[in-house]
Amino acid sequence: MKREEYSIEVKNVTKKFKVFYDKPNTLKEKLVFWKNNKSETRTVLEDINIKIKKGDTVALIGVNGSGKSTLLKLMTKIIYPTKGSIITRGKLTSLLELGAGFHEDFTGRENIYFNASIFGLTRKEIEAKIDDIIEFSELKDFIDNPVRTYSSGMYMRLAFSVAINVEAEILLIDEILAVGDQHFQDKCFAKLHELKESDKTIVIVSHSLDSIKKLCNRAIWISEGHVKKDGKTEEVIEEYLKACK
Amino acid sequence: MIKNLYNYRELLKSNVKKEIRGKYKGSFLGILWSFINPLLQVAVYAIVFPYIMRVKTENYLQYLIVGIIPWTFFTTVLNQGMITVRMNAGIIKKVYFPREILPISVALSGLVNFFISCIIIVLFCVLGGVGISWHIILLPVFAVIQFFLTLGVVMALSAINIYVKDTEYLINFIVNMLFYATPILYPVTLFPQKIRWVLYANPLTELITAYRDIFMYHQLPALLPTLYLVCITIAVFFIGLLIFRKLEKGFAEEV
Repeated sequence: MKREEYSIEVKNVTKKFKVFYDKPNTLKEKLVFWKNNKSETRTVLEDINIKIKKGDTVALIGVNGSGKSTLLKLMTKIIYPTKGSIITRGKLTSLLELGAGFHEDFTGRENIYFNASIFGLTRKEIEAKIDDIIEFSELKDFIDNPVRTYSSGMYMRLAFSVAINVEAEILLIDEILAVGDQHFQDKCFAKLHELKESDKTIVIVSHSLDSIKKLCNRAIWISEGHVKKDGKTEEVIEEYLKACK
Repeated sequence: MIKNLYNYRELLKSNVKKEIRGKYKGSFLGILWSFINPLLQVAVYAIVFPYIMRVKTENYLQYLIVGIIPWTFFTTVLNQGMITVRMNAGIIKKVYFPREILPISVALSGLVNFFISCIIIVLFCVLGGVGISWHIILLPVFAVIQFFLTLGVVMALSAINIYVKDTEYLINFIVNMLFYATPILYPVTLFPQKIRWVLYANPLTELITAYRDIFMYHQLPALLPTLYLVCITIAVFFIGLLIFRKLEKGFAEEV
């Protein structure tokens, strides 16, 4: 297979975090306490190798703290690996945890512009899509209110609507499918299926195994910073469930 | 880098707008404060300084304005820029975008403000009888030099400030010193010959002297000081960029 057919290549990636018990923030603290700075290095991911084909829909599963979200953040280039390298090919959007970096005082509409421009869209492109985005979010009545007045569900709906409508080739989603009411969740899944059909690469971190089973054709089980199992969704989930018991 | 910035031009644009509008948000006069503030500062010095320093400079009011408005450009960008990475911690942790956009938009918003403020300089020059000449076409050249010089400083400091918060307080002190080490309130000739080199080593001296040549004395800025200014600017800009590049990878973990 040609290299270009991989959307994401994770090569020998190790990520370590320095954990401070009492983080020195000022110069004085750094100088005064520079010897007894209690810190330890925690290895969150160790020697990870993953190749994700273009058009694949991949789920990352594992218990809390296993390093799934860190891996996703590495793919987004928000943080960088301690060792190894990550290559992504194509335009990439991500939706991490709650919130996509909105400005609280901006209105929903302004935040759509702001958020979409962070994903690298031009004003023209945003203008062409803004109606779709608002329509999808079902926030028409609130779109000109400041985002700080939104409920967490509305917040997420807006974030999701932007990320899903910017037409990136790679979409990274971290545990947000649980937000929103049933109706909106169904809609998101329908949209994700649609994106899947149109040959987009999707990586999802999620604990809702049933939805993953329906959506993803591949699952990667991460345990204590290592890839424990990688393969067909059903098989990986089955084994994961067994181990959880 | 330039290609990357071009792809993100929309973000740059909206960020610049946010910086220009955001600073005085909620105040009654809003953006007008960016122009009133330096004028008030000028008023204070214009009233006080002739008494305590016995400065005898012709057209002292104009002299002050041409000094203080570029100085305000410099300090505003410095103060806003130093904290810009920290202020945007929210989006830095959530999404990828070229981090340089943050200091660049602060510097750009300063540049836009400066150009608008130059109208005030021109007004004072014309109304005060100093007049204006064709030399004013050189204004954008020096404004752009100042832009890159300030941007270099801001890139370095905004990145360092994430790791060592003291930077902010230390820089406040240095800026205070720098204000008096730049001939804004007084002419260089006020200093004894022996220590004038301190002033000339400060690139802001060359900048402000150049602005005065353009606006007040209707002459071309001297060649050698300008060359010195350009060299320092290039060095500062690239060192700043280098430091920023080196440190930006840890931003999401450190803020």
